[in-house]
Amino acid sequence: MNLRGGWELIKRSYLGWLAGRGFYWTLTFGWMVPSLLYLFVWATVAGQGQVQGFNRDGFIVYYLCFIMLNQFTYPVCNWTVGDSIRFGRFSTWLLHPMPPMFEVIATDIAMKVVCTPFATLVTMMLLIFLHPALPFSLWSCLYFLPALLLAQILRFLMAYTLALLALWNSRADALLALNDTLIFLLAGEVAPVALLPGWLGILAMVLPFRSMLGFPVEVLTGRLSTVEIWQGFALQSAWVLAVILLYRLVWHQGLRHYASVGG
Amino acid sequence: MTESHIHVRQLSKTYHVPEREEGLLAAMQSLAHRRFKDIIAVDNVSFNIKQGEMVGFIGPNGAGKTTTMKMLAGLLYPTTGEVRVENYVPWERKTQYLRTISMIMANKNRLNWENTAIDSFRVLAAIFRISRADFQSMLEELVELLEIEELLPKLVRNLSLGERMKCELAGALLHRPRVLFLDEPTLGLDVTMQLRLRRFLAEYNRRTGATMILTSHYMADVTALCSRVILIDHGKLLYDGELAGLAERMAPFKLIRLTVDDSREQNASEIERTLLNASFPVTIIDQVDRGFSLRVEKGHAAAILTHVLGELPVVDISVEDPPIEAVIDQVYREGVYL
Repeated sequence: MNLRGGWELIKRSYLGWLAGRGFYWTLTFGWMVPSLLYLFVWATVAGQGQVQGFNRDGFIVYYLCFIMLNQFTYPVCNWTVGDSIRFGRFSTWLLHPMPPMFEVIATDIAMKVVCTPFATLVTMMLLIFLHPALPFSLWSCLYFLPALLLAQILRFLMAYTLALLALWNSRADALLALNDTLIFLLAGEVAPVALLPGWLGILAMVLPFRSMLGFPVEVLTGRLSTVEIWQGFALQSAWVLAVILLYRLVWHQGLRHYASVGG
Repeated sequence: MTESHIHVRQLSKTYHVPEREEGLLAAMQSLAHRRFKDIIAVDNVSFNIKQGEMVGFIGPNGAGKTTTMKMLAGLLYPTTGEVRVENYVPWERKTQYLRTISMIMANKNRLNWENTAIDSFRVLAAIFRISRADFQSMLEELVELLEIEELLPKLVRNLSLGERMKCELAGALLHRPRVLFLDEPTLGLDVTMQLRLRRFLAEYNRRTGATMILTSHYMADVTALCSRVILIDHGKLLYDGELAGLAERMAPFKLIRLTVDDSREQNASEIERTLLNASFPVTIIDQVDRGFSLRVEKGHAAAILTHVLGELPVVDISVEDPPIEAVIDQVYREGVYL
């Protein structure tokens, strides 16, 4: 593995992102807005009472954690890979003696380094302003770390694989938008998954979207039993494996179809 | 194992592309029923290239040059056929192969626009695992050859087209590729910059013995750098051989340009008549005042010259081969397979 190359790519991408940090901070704020809206909606609904085990503070902590996790796991390759394929920049990546995924991971890490301070600042201000009771324990924090790692891998790989479908027809935006919508509905953003009714709740529990966001937040906020946590890890791992297999298929077949745009 | 450095056998590439009629209705219909069409971009092409050769790959737009180059560089899978470059199959994209080659495409950027040229070079050095010592020595060599010292600290996006092309070239050569695919490397550059790049490429070839395949719409690039050309049109190979041989076989004519003294009372039509009175066929292809351009068969050029000099008060005369652009244009128009 070419670690020196990977490190240089991260530095290069970081400098590039830093040059347009104003834009990217606005973008980060845009990602927060839906979660913020639902934070206030559910906190208001809960009032002085409870909604299926969530009180006002529970909702506030859940959504503030959700905002930070969304920031950590948001895959910037949603836009960059499709554009690279469409405008032919992907060809220059293919000419490098390292997998194009390095370019994508580097951009992803650089974006996180540039945008996370802004997201952290906003979250901390909200935490101070709303001063909820914090439910974190040492164990929930320890369990959270692998859950976060698997969520990051799963969300990134899913987005990258879908973006690679542009190798067939140059446009994978619609599928990426669908992926984002399903994440919004089923990952715990519109409501914590435990609050989703009937079959929608069951669907949300088994599909990969909760594993990308809702599950790590539930782990961190201490809402799951040890058994549920291990079941969650198993589901995350299974989805990671499935998406890796899908990625390999899409990558190898996609390269065969790649028509390398632009003369 | 093949003896040739680049070995291409019966290479073909067919694109399966969607098509539809113009207009809104056709666009709506295509949503329900998409039609596809097969376009043969490269059709059964074979050739061999030896180590250190500089070969001009020429053809009109859409001839299949870039598609062929992209298959050689490993960017595209062929539909059928066999390719070996330094005994690698390009589209397997082995790391070692990618360290051996470089491809320069006029409209694609390898350097990052938001970074300085020198930072972009460092990233490339890391990607290609070039040791710091090798990077330093190669950079010094390229900086000297391409005269880019003052460009190194500049942001790539602030460079002019010519400056950027020089930096792109430097970036593409940092890992000392043994095979270079150059797709329109001088596109959009001014004449001075074109000359410098040509000189540089010739020097790089001389110093390193790298094999180069060049496509260019500027025939001056090809004539200056390549003694061998491969002509391709509609995906088919039309000619593979010496550039000089192409002109010899396709254009058995000479151009005679002459200016007649205007002190004599002889009008243009009388001069024209005298010229056409030669014992061999003469075609007047251009005339400005008392200057004439004649096309004559090569074998008759000497006799016609004697006739012209004997009959007319010539003050200036030259005999030339037709320009290579005209020869190639003739090949494309007449579709002659050589």
